[in-house]
Amino acid sequence: MISHKMKINGKYDINASSDVIWKMILDPEVLEKITPGIKSLETTDTDTYKAVSEVKIGPVKGAFNGNLSIKDKKEKESCLLVIDQKSKIGNVVAEIGIKLAPSEETNTEIQYTGEAKLSGKLAVMGQRIMSGVVSTLSKQFFKALEKEIENK
Amino acid sequence: MGKFIGKAVKRREDARFLKGAGKYTDDIKLPKMTQAAFVRSPYAHAKILSIDTSEAKNADGVVAVYTAQDGCGEYGVPCGWQVDFKNGETMREPQHPLLAKDKIRHLGEAVAIVIAESLEQARDAAELVEVDYEELPAVTDPKKAMEEGAPLVHDQWEDNAAFDWCIGNDRAEVEAALENAHHVTEMEYINQRVAPNAIEPRSYIADYDVNTDKWTLYTSTQNPHLIRLLLCAFVLGIPEHKVRVVSYDVGGGFGSKIYHYTEEAILTWVSKEIGRPVKWTSDRSEAFLTDAHGRDHVVHSKMGFDKDGKIVAHLTDEYCGMGAYLSTFAPAVPTYLHGTLFQGVYTTPLIHLNVVGPFTHAVPVDAYRGAGRPEATYLLERIISKAAKEMNMDPAELRFKNFIPPFDGVKESGYQTQVALQYDSGNYHGTLERGLEMLGYEDFRKEQSEARKNGRLLGVGISTYIEACGIAPSAVVGSLGARAGLYEVGHVRVQPTGKVSVYTGAHSHGQGHETVFAQFVADKLGIPMDDVQIEHGDTEQVAFGMGTYGSRSLAVGGSAIIKSIEKVLEKGAKIAAHKLEAAEEDLEYAEGKWTVKGTDKSISFGDVSLTAYVPHDYPEGLEPGLDYSSFYDPANFTYPFGTHIAVVEVDPDTGKVDLKRFVACDDVGNVMNPMIVDGQIHGGVVQGIGQALLEEVVYDESGQMITGSYMDYAMPRADDVPMIETDRTVTPCPHNPLGVKGAGEAGAIGSTPAVVSAVVDALSHLGVTDIQMPLTPQRVWKAMQN
Amino acid sequence: MQISTTINGKTYSHDIEPRISLAHYLREILDLTGTHIGCDTSGCGACTVNLNGMAVKSCTLLAVQADGGEITTIEGMADGNTMHPIQEAFKEHHGLQCGFCTPGMVMTAADIIKNNPNPTEEEIRHGLEGNFCRCTGYHNIVKSIQHAAEKLNS
Repeated sequence: MISHKMKINGKYDINASSDVIWKMILDPEVLEKITPGIKSLETTDTDTYKAVSEVKIGPVKGAFNGNLSIKDKKEKESCLLVIDQKSKIGNVVAEIGIKLAPSEETNTEIQYTGEAKLSGKLAVMGQRIMSGVVSTLSKQFFKALEKEIENK
Repeated sequence: MGKFIGKAVKRREDARFLKGAGKYTDDIKLPKMTQAAFVRSPYAHAKILSIDTSEAKNADGVVAVYTAQDGCGEYGVPCGWQVDFKNGETMREPQHPLLAKDKIRHLGEAVAIVIAESLEQARDAAELVEVDYEELPAVTDPKKAMEEGAPLVHDQWEDNAAFDWCIGNDRAEVEAALENAHHVTEMEYINQRVAPNAIEPRSYIADYDVNTDKWTLYTSTQNPHLIRLLLCAFVLGIPEHKVRVVSYDVGGGFGSKIYHYTEEAILTWVSKEIGRPVKWTSDRSEAFLTDAHGRDHVVHSKMGFDKDGKIVAHLTDEYCGMGAYLSTFAPAVPTYLHGTLFQGVYTTPLIHLNVVGPFTHAVPVDAYRGAGRPEATYLLERIISKAAKEMNMDPAELRFKNFIPPFDGVKESGYQTQVALQYDSGNYHGTLERGLEMLGYEDFRKEQSEARKNGRLLGVGISTYIEACGIAPSAVVGSLGARAGLYEVGHVRVQPTGKVSVYTGAHSHGQGHETVFAQFVADKLGIPMDDVQIEHGDTEQVAFGMGTYGSRSLAVGGSAIIKSIEKVLEKGAKIAAHKLEAAEEDLEYAEGKWTVKGTDKSISFGDVSLTAYVPHDYPEGLEPGLDYSSFYDPANFTYPFGTHIAVVEVDPDTGKVDLKRFVACDDVGNVMNPMIVDGQIHGGVVQGIGQALLEEVVYDESGQMITGSYMDYAMPRADDVPMIETDRTVTPCPHNPLGVKGAGEAGAIGSTPAVVSAVVDALSHLGVTDIQMPLTPQRVWKAMQN
Repeated sequence: MQISTTINGKTYSHDIEPRISLAHYLREILDLTGTHIGCDTSGCGACTVNLNGMAVKSCTLLAVQADGGEITTIEGMADGNTMHPIQEAFKEHHGLQCGFCTPGMVMTAADIIKNNPNPTEEEIRHGLEGNFCRCTGYHNIVKSIQHAAEKLNS
């Protein structure tokens, strides 16, 4: 049986200290701004949010809603992003580990590794292109983060 | 032979198809017709916590939205074949609801139906239906479904078995013979789940007419009468005479359009609720998720041989997935259509097969081209080829050694197998000899060893199959659990002008009945083919019928027509005798006229027909008219057989298999139209090649299908296959009037093991003994590395 | 959106929803039901038509993309009751069974022969890669196209 958990891996180098990045990615206002397709992000508990988003990349298009929470926090070092999103085109359950590590002098490398489980049309029709979609979305996220840092 | 029988008559149905004027269900538009879309589960196994249709109901163009709570929740589609447990326990038969009520049991199961003015509106509104699910663990592997602690598909039973069945000789006796065998060959593999993929997706239109209180169901089915019977008597409880089922042109079936599907039942129900016609046409993704799949056997088998290579015993255990519910004929496929073929073409004295049929969280399986026989043939032909390698014998020689000797079923009686069936007639040596000759077997072996020296990987694979078709004697299948009779109906209506309308209960969805049936009708009546019209696919035209599957149309449906022709000629002779003022026994019928033997006094078929309808000068006491309907119930199955040989070359760097030649020598009994028989063989062979090399429905461990489109599910394309080299031997069927055996499934039954054995043969010197289907380059390459 | 097309020599003008496919437009609005839909991913080729001299899959082309275009569908291949030589060849060589993939096969065959008047068996098979047939095993389709090419060249 072929496992159908999609691997999500990548890294992104940002010209900012881990301290700055850490604060930014834990700030719901910033998250709401920089997460691609997000319509609203409502804090429901500590580090737990209710998110409504609309994603449209090529044939993958859908309105998602569900929970987003940040667990296992290690100040300025790492955390676990837990995503549970539902949509008419299928659901996504993902756990993504995020690590911050200083690189060069003033930069920080953000590494992320995890797995997403897809269901419904997303799985049946979209699985072949989903890793491309995820990589596009990640790039958009970090670019927006970079911009947000520059603007501060 | 006559003027038309045995000739490659060009098909009369072709003109309409070639001009784009075929009439498939989705081509039909009715006034005031609405369109349906289904809301389908994104999970394989889940509890339905709530369904909210309010937003959808208010959407643009929406006519109605229904869930199982809205009055159709009590209905379910039935299973047509009962296979009980070997310990006597009754088959476990869950309700197969039209819409899921509180639980989802396979990905894509429908939870709601949305009806709207246009298809776009229906689909848009379907997206507005809010369903809250609680996902549950799923199991899609038939063997894992029987493990302790596996998620239960139907929790009213303690495990997932629908049945646990066996056939053949006493198990202990077979085991003992294997213990004492000189050599035992063992195999473990999966005969993988495949999707039939008729290119026309399923399509239905239900039209309830309030003024007549009658329904018309237009449906892409292989058996309109069966659908009407199941729909009326077992699903909705509506009177059968109030329903007309019409199946005009159907774009391929391969088994998948035999079954009564939930969608055609709910559309019929909806049409009365809304008082308007309603259409639903599956898209390809829905087809992958909801059309009955084929195969899905997990196999463990042992075959024992004596020191001369004679088979002494064969023991097999299988887990054959049923999917989430029991589709119309599903339980019969891995049992009575499968186990009964374990004799193959060999004299094996001891055979035992045990089959457990588990429910799984997958779409139901059912008969797919060959249904049970391809799976039996795959096992027998692969294990014999594997045994030949192990015993260092030639695979052809090992087969010749074990063949049942030729018998014609007339002078010599039929061959009684260890697994219930009695073969009608066969000459298995004949097709293998001819197949080897067509291939140039000995020369190929030389070429192969030369090629090996140069690093080229050539291989040859042989398959000598038999199948049981022309399904089937009603009493026999009834005793085996079938809940329907499997006769066929043939109605011959001679019009006053001598033109002939023939109504058959068989259904053509590519087989060319309109041509082939007209060929033998014209010959038997001695009239031009143009004077014969073949009608099928409408329950209001054709008295009754069981439809087309199991290579049965000509053997069973054709025979029914012959019976009616005999009645027509019998009555015609009475009229002719009266008109010719001669005794009936002094007449002979040939070339469309009755002649008084030894004279030139004759009367034509047309004149007799006219007299029958204008009975002024007419035999006393004889009813007017010339119109007969017959039911034909065959005496036995028919048993086509043949030899398929594949030649492959494997790319040593990538593992890609290049199918270089494919030779098929089949024996399908007498042949009515060689062009059409060849066409059936070509198509079947390529479908079998598809399973060997390309096709597999893959579910991941949570029951998500990851091969749900043509971008992910590989089927043979034109450049995957060579020209198919065909020839025939002819061993007539001794028990039907045309002597025909059936050709629809043969290709798909014989070809799969030939291809796999060829690849294994190409790699045998590397120690490869078997490769799991489909033989993708990755799998072949991996096998080469180990 | 307003679109105008010439289909099988006739001009049509319709105000359509921008999201509908060309296949849908042909089948549902113009009742040209010879163009079939067998999948939704351009995988099967049953919907093949000729647009501006090129064979295209009409199921994944928006009708609005065909605006101003000249289209031939299967209904435009025969000349009245006289079938096109490709259609004739398919009949003569049993290049069809259920008939569902046939319109797409004929339209693709026309494209293959147009671009390569003397195609080899291999070239024909390659040219048919975008069209599924589940009935014939392609054997007689390839033969039909070989014979059609010969006839068209003679």
